[in-house]
Amino acid sequence: MTLEAILLNGLAVITTGLVVGAIFSLVAAGVTIMYGTIWLPNASNGQFFMLAALLTWSMVIGWGLSPFLGAAVVIAGAIPFSLLLEKCLIRPFYNVPNRNIVYFIMTLGLAQIFAGAFTGTYGQWTDNYSIPAAWPGALMIGPFPFPRTRFLVLLVSFSLLTGLFVFLRLHRVGRALRAVFQNREAAILRGVDVRRIYRFSFVLAMLVITTGGVLFAMAYGFDLTMSWTMAIIAFAIMIVGGPGSVLGSVVIGMIFGFTQAAVSLFASPTLATFSYLVVMLIILLVKPSGLFAR
Amino acid sequence: MLGYDSKRAGSRSFFLATIILALGAFALLLPSPGAPAEPLKGEPIKIGWIAELSGTWSFFGATGLTAAQIAEEEINAKGGILGRPVQVIPMDNRTDPAQAASAARMLDTQHKVLVLSGPTSSDTSLAIYGYAEQNKVPFVVPVAAFPRLTRPGTQWTFRVEPDAVGWGYAIVKFIEKMKPGASLALIYSDFALQRAIVAGIKYQAERSGIKIATDIIFPQNATDATVQAAQVKSRNPDFVMVSGGGAFDVTITNQLLDLGIKPEQIIHPFGAVKMILGWGPRSVGSYYGTFFDHSLGGLNDYAQGLITKFTERKGYVPAYIENFCYATVYLIKEAVEKAGAADRVKFRDAVRNINTKEITTGIPIIFDKNGARKEFMYFLQMKDVKKDIYQSKEAFYIEWDPEVIPVYQLAP
Amino acid sequence: MAHRRAAVVALTILALALPFLFAGNRFYAFILGITYLYILWSSGMNLLSGFTGLMPLMYAGLAGIGAYTTVNLVMKASVSFWLAMPVGALAAAVVGVVLGLPSLRLRGFYFTLSGLVIQTALTMLFVYVPQFTAGDTGISQIPPPSIPLPGRTFPLTGVWLEETLAVAAVLTVYLVRWITRSTLGTYLVAIREDDLLTEALGIDVVRNRVLAFFISSLIAGVGGAFYAHYMGFVSPRSFDVLTSLNTWLIVGFGGQGTILGPIVGTLILAPIPYLLQELYLYKDIIYGGLIVFTTIFLPRGVYGSFLFYRRTRAAARAAASPKPEVARS
Repeated sequence: MTLEAILLNGLAVITTGLVVGAIFSLVAAGVTIMYGTIWLPNASNGQFFMLAALLTWSMVIGWGLSPFLGAAVVIAGAIPFSLLLEKCLIRPFYNVPNRNIVYFIMTLGLAQIFAGAFTGTYGQWTDNYSIPAAWPGALMIGPFPFPRTRFLVLLVSFSLLTGLFVFLRLHRVGRALRAVFQNREAAILRGVDVRRIYRFSFVLAMLVITTGGVLFAMAYGFDLTMSWTMAIIAFAIMIVGGPGSVLGSVVIGMIFGFTQAAVSLFASPTLATFSYLVVMLIILLVKPSGLFAR
Repeated sequence: MLGYDSKRAGSRSFFLATIILALGAFALLLPSPGAPAEPLKGEPIKIGWIAELSGTWSFFGATGLTAAQIAEEEINAKGGILGRPVQVIPMDNRTDPAQAASAARMLDTQHKVLVLSGPTSSDTSLAIYGYAEQNKVPFVVPVAAFPRLTRPGTQWTFRVEPDAVGWGYAIVKFIEKMKPGASLALIYSDFALQRAIVAGIKYQAERSGIKIATDIIFPQNATDATVQAAQVKSRNPDFVMVSGGGAFDVTITNQLLDLGIKPEQIIHPFGAVKMILGWGPRSVGSYYGTFFDHSLGGLNDYAQGLITKFTERKGYVPAYIENFCYATVYLIKEAVEKAGAADRVKFRDAVRNINTKEITTGIPIIFDKNGARKEFMYFLQMKDVKKDIYQSKEAFYIEWDPEVIPVYQLAP
Repeated sequence: MAHRRAAVVALTILALALPFLFAGNRFYAFILGITYLYILWSSGMNLLSGFTGLMPLMYAGLAGIGAYTTVNLVMKASVSFWLAMPVGALAAAVVGVVLGLPSLRLRGFYFTLSGLVIQTALTMLFVYVPQFTAGDTGISQIPPPSIPLPGRTFPLTGVWLEETLAVAAVLTVYLVRWITRSTLGTYLVAIREDDLLTEALGIDVVRNRVLAFFISSLIAGVGGAFYAHYMGFVSPRSFDVLTSLNTWLIVGFGGQGTILGPIVGTLILAPIPYLLQELYLYKDIIYGGLIVFTTIFLPRGVYGSFLFYRRTRAAARAAASPKPEVARS
């Protein structure tokens, strides 16, 4: 292979790996926060991701908003939506001992509702959704054009992840969240209002997932099957990284992102997804607390 | 097993739940308002139209249905078939073969249609084919090009569109004429249709001296082609055959153009209108295969009528998919008239022996013993693309026999 | 006790007679056939989810293994359906145990999650091993089973096919009922309620779970084989996550842990997609909604809630009345 070919392929893998990995990390972070704090394994995380992406698409293509404005509207709208969801479906189970199974099944049902709703509405209009570039043009890295929008998405996701990390380590509320992760009873004893923390972490996690969806829509085209794929990948990252560990989500998320890009070079990307499943299964059986468990 | 607060399942909840459910079930089972009454009298002649109205192939299915419905209205306005109204009964197969088989069963047992038609995707067509052959229901496939639909031994199925392996043959012949000895890169999605086209390309490429530079397949639900586009570019091919599934095709095309592939190097095996508009002004200069296009010269009254009516309804011009669906309804009309009755066996025999022309283009319709039609293809070059309309110019035309190359071995 | 016996006999006779009553209308006969299939399937899942307390999300994948194995044997190796089906069922059971065994140690949610993972992996397998499954295109023109008689083979079509399904469904229900009343059944319920205590009492929890898994997977495989040869068409999407989930819904909605529960659930839910073909767009929404609804309001299912209600009423009456009530057996 010529030098140019190697460069082209290599840069494609690196840039795709970074962007995809960052978005994986965001969604997995949201899922892991939800599970770590509330003990809520959200099987419909992929559908919320999809919903965010589809709504952004609607805003831009249907209503003619600029991608930035559309993104802002969707992310802002996620707050009241999450609050409503929390009040109706999540809150009733806070004191139930094995609520993780109930939540899991319920969110699977929710996922099916969304899947059906999407097919019935968006699915009837088109089968592939792409938004015109928010920041047109491309940066040339040698022979390789890196679209500016994707670069922007990369910057934003990394900033978000860093911000999330800092928040959880240093901010009062963030630390309360982590206290509840680790030991609910002890946190209560220390005066933490657990129910409010639950609500907060649910909304925070939903915001993170929504942002992931919005960013993905800006960077790539997508179709409806992405929701299930993302859900599986998010769970895989959460399990391997360690439920409740945002650091784990980021590290594993980036690794999976690069795997995806590299595997696409010579085989079907589904092989990559298959490998995540295998790794997830191995971790479940050998070290269920994950690699970065605290 | 769910084992939590047992008071929840107390008697009040139970009754409330039952009442809600009962009301819900009752509401759902209420009969839906039927279609408005036909002006023509008599038991309608029913065509079961199973199309991809959602899912990956929805581009094709929805647009074909509209064309079929235009034909339905025209025929009924002029007295129907044998004095009876024709009724196109649409069903969505969601681009899912299992759903297509289910729809076929529904139309056969519940609606008791005379003939099945409608699918534009090879995978769904094959599922319906299986049902039709097993249950002896005539099946006229308007737009699906998989050769197996007319494999030797087929009794009830007829394919109106030339077969996909043949398109591969035609593409190589076209390239041969443009630049003998050229190299060709292949980048496509893993559907039965694309596999068949590629099989035809590879077979004929060997015999025509065309080199295959690279062969890249995407799984059916792929959405990004950045890495693969880079691979294609690094091989420096003379031409690139691009065929993604559904709108992914537009994504691949754009990513190739981003990397510096020239439009004149790109050949799409087929171009539905939404795809052409999706490729957009950036693709001016690239080539696509087709069987009917508003840009072609010498269009007759029926063709003009279809173009006008369709554009009015959908806001864009019809192309080969819409034409095949429209022409198929007219073909069915002719066959019923020839058979003299709405009887499945008589209808099937009438189609088998038919020797007529496509109502819009005058191109002959003759089926061989397996239900395959004598084949042809145009290649057009894009000249101008606007938001809702495009202009192309004919670059190449070719005719061939269904078995000019061993299609049934290449796409079993 | 006697009137219960009579009820059981009556139900069995009804189940076996229905195909003949519907023989005239192929459309309703088909819905009846699908209902029998789901009764068979849901009874198998009930054994695992209702009686053992494990939620097997890979159930549909196992059914798929049974289906594809049988179809390949019948269509490529010309084996009779009646020989191929047990092989397919066995394949499903073996795969089920091999894949499920490591995860049987896992508690609650992690077991469910591993089931989901295995199901996804199985669906991928079905799509990407086209030599065995023809991938997403699916396998069509699957012949119905036939009875080899001296002289000629008699293909089971029409009413006889539905009757075969009826027999299979009835036999499966009886099998599950027999198991639940046996020692194994008692052990399974004990494990469901408190597996640590059961282990402490000296009962081999893992071994009994494996046994339940094996039988349940066997039934899944049988169902898969019948499904393939009844529909005449299979594709990976026939056996994906949603199928497992919807089978669970039928069991959960009807009432898991009871014998009649899955039957009630099937009768209500299975015909919906077919009777409401015009509303196909809403099918997923309806099913998904029912899952959410069942988890929140009806965790015991329709039939289960009915039993619970009756029992609480009886207990209340017993507490209020001065005479001691004889315990019902």
